[in-house]
Amino acid sequence: MSRTFQPGETFTHVRECDRYRPIYYAGASGDFNPIHIDPEVGKTAGLGGVILQGLCTLGWAVEAVAVFVGDPGRIRRVRVRFSKPVRPEDTITFEGKVTSVQDGVLTAEVSATNQRGEDVLKGAVVEASIG
Amino acid sequence: MALDKRFIGREYGPYSYTVGAEKLREFALAVGGARPGAGTPGEPPPHVSPLLYDAQAAKAGPYGDLIAFPSFAVVFAVRPFSAAIADPELAVNMLMLVHGEQELEFLDVMRPGDVMTTTGRIENIFDKARMSFLVVSSESRNQHGKTVVKGTWTAVIRG
Repeated sequence: MSRTFQPGETFTHVRECDRYRPIYYAGASGDFNPIHIDPEVGKTAGLGGVILQGLCTLGWAVEAVAVFVGDPGRIRRVRVRFSKPVRPEDTITFEGKVTSVQDGVLTAEVSATNQRGEDVLKGAVVEASIG
Repeated sequence: MALDKRFIGREYGPYSYTVGAEKLREFALAVGGARPGAGTPGEPPPHVSPLLYDAQAAKAGPYGDLIAFPSFAVVFAVRPFSAAIADPELAVNMLMLVHGEQELEFLDVMRPGDVMTTTGRIENIFDKARMSFLVVSSESRNQHGKTVVKGTWTAVIRG
């Protein structure tokens, strides 16, 4: 890989959860839990409507690092806690910071906040092979 | 209602899944932000790597073929987790369930035609702050017997 990476480098990735993204993601992933596709069920569950699949948000955190290192095939690990639901028409900003570059593995901490400044992920860590 | 700890150690699988090119492309573009329509997974947004959808570019690239977006693995690796959640003996209240935590480890890329075999087990069941936690591990091997994806899946069931 031609580029070198240093601890402390930062990167940003912004994604909008458009109105039908939970439905598109349901189709692609098979996660048709009604809390993701049926607003009435979301309300009954106390969620105030549909919420995006957490694993789609995880995918966006992975994507943030994949774009930064330039190759999605280099992602080696992802770990996240889902702290707040993402809803249709939310805009999520992923801010990544390289915390270590060691033995050909880059480790980045990634925060994900909505347009109100609330964290939707906590303690997200993504590792990528850069050897 | 608290989940019964005696189910710790219960195993699920094996489950077999054959990775298909169109499904890889569909998943990568759905995560990537494309708007699918009848007959097409949609136009790829500029940030989406061509390795994920453009077979010609991918064949000339570092992996010799299309590769899966890493978290495509959830499409098949979720199976033990979903089996545990749906296990009638565990009796999880689906409406009260949220996905709490997720870890995925990727030991190799996935290409069209790969046949993945997934097994999993309930690693832990515990209660904290009036919520129940269900932790399921998964391991997915390809047709060569190589472990490609390991997962740790944590569900939180609100009391």
